[in-house]
Amino acid sequence: MAHRKMMRVLLVEDEEINRLELAQVVARAALKAAAGGGDDDLVLDEAENGAAAVQRVRDAATAAAAPYDLILMDKQMPVMDGHEATRRIRGMGVTTPIVAVSSDGLPADVEAFVAAGADDFTSKPLSKEKLGDILAKFRLA
Amino acid sequence: MAAAALTNQLNALVNNMFAMGLLDDQFQQLQMLQDSTAPDFVSEVVTLFCDDGERIICELARQLEKPNVDFDRVDSYVHQLKGSSASVGAQKVKNTCIQFREFCQQRSRDGCLKTLDLVRTEFYDLRSKFQAMLQIMNRKAESTEKKKNCDAEAEGAS
Repeated sequence: MAHRKMMRVLLVEDEEINRLELAQVVARAALKAAAGGGDDDLVLDEAENGAAAVQRVRDAATAAAAPYDLILMDKQMPVMDGHEATRRIRGMGVTTPIVAVSSDGLPADVEAFVAAGADDFTSKPLSKEKLGDILAKFRLA
Repeated sequence: MAAAALTNQLNALVNNMFAMGLLDDQFQQLQMLQDSTAPDFVSEVVTLFCDDGERIICELARQLEKPNVDFDRVDSYVHQLKGSSASVGAQKVKNTCIQFREFCQQRSRDGCLKTLDLVRTEFYDLRSKFQAMLQIMNRKAESTEKKKNCDAEAEGAS
């Protein structure tokens, strides 16, 4: 019998239109993984800014719930940006893969995210193909 | 009008939007993401884009009327418009936003105002086409539903 477990993803994005699209891309990828005998269930949490994301990760760490398997992080957000949120999440000792998803794809932007503790960077808009590569890279597919 | 005729009308409109350079491949990605689990996905995204765009353009006009323009704030609004344009595949609007951000960096009020006029025209042009598209999609959904009900009634009668 194929190994099946729940995949928990945290989507950090301030724009509703982007959250709607990203959520659908992630949901489709989870369905595909299920069809291939991989993870069959998806828990998708959303945070509208970096501070809300840090709180979500803190709550997950202190609750009985399993930690996140993947965090998709936008850069430019109100209250707290993606760099700072990534730094704070890493400061909590969380090792969940954090993938920056941003429209600012200059080398300096990528380096800043990596310096903050992100594992990978992908440019917006996130496609099914790009997410598939990310899931494969972190062995989530 | 039958669903097939509405599908043809919808395809012609969307193809025309591609031919005019209003849309790019991202719009096709959106269409591919629509499935039985999210049957209204495209119309939800397009509606959000139309609402967001109108709000941001009004805010940009308000910001640029101020005696002391906060160009960082203007840039932040343009960044939002660029992001939602990219999400929906609104190529022309997105490209104009890229130019707009350059004027923000140069702190050029004249440049920003001229680009605002351009992005406004492009946005409202695209929005009217998107609204036409949404109307056709709604009529198509109604037509499909009506046919389904008629078929069910005919099956019940036989």
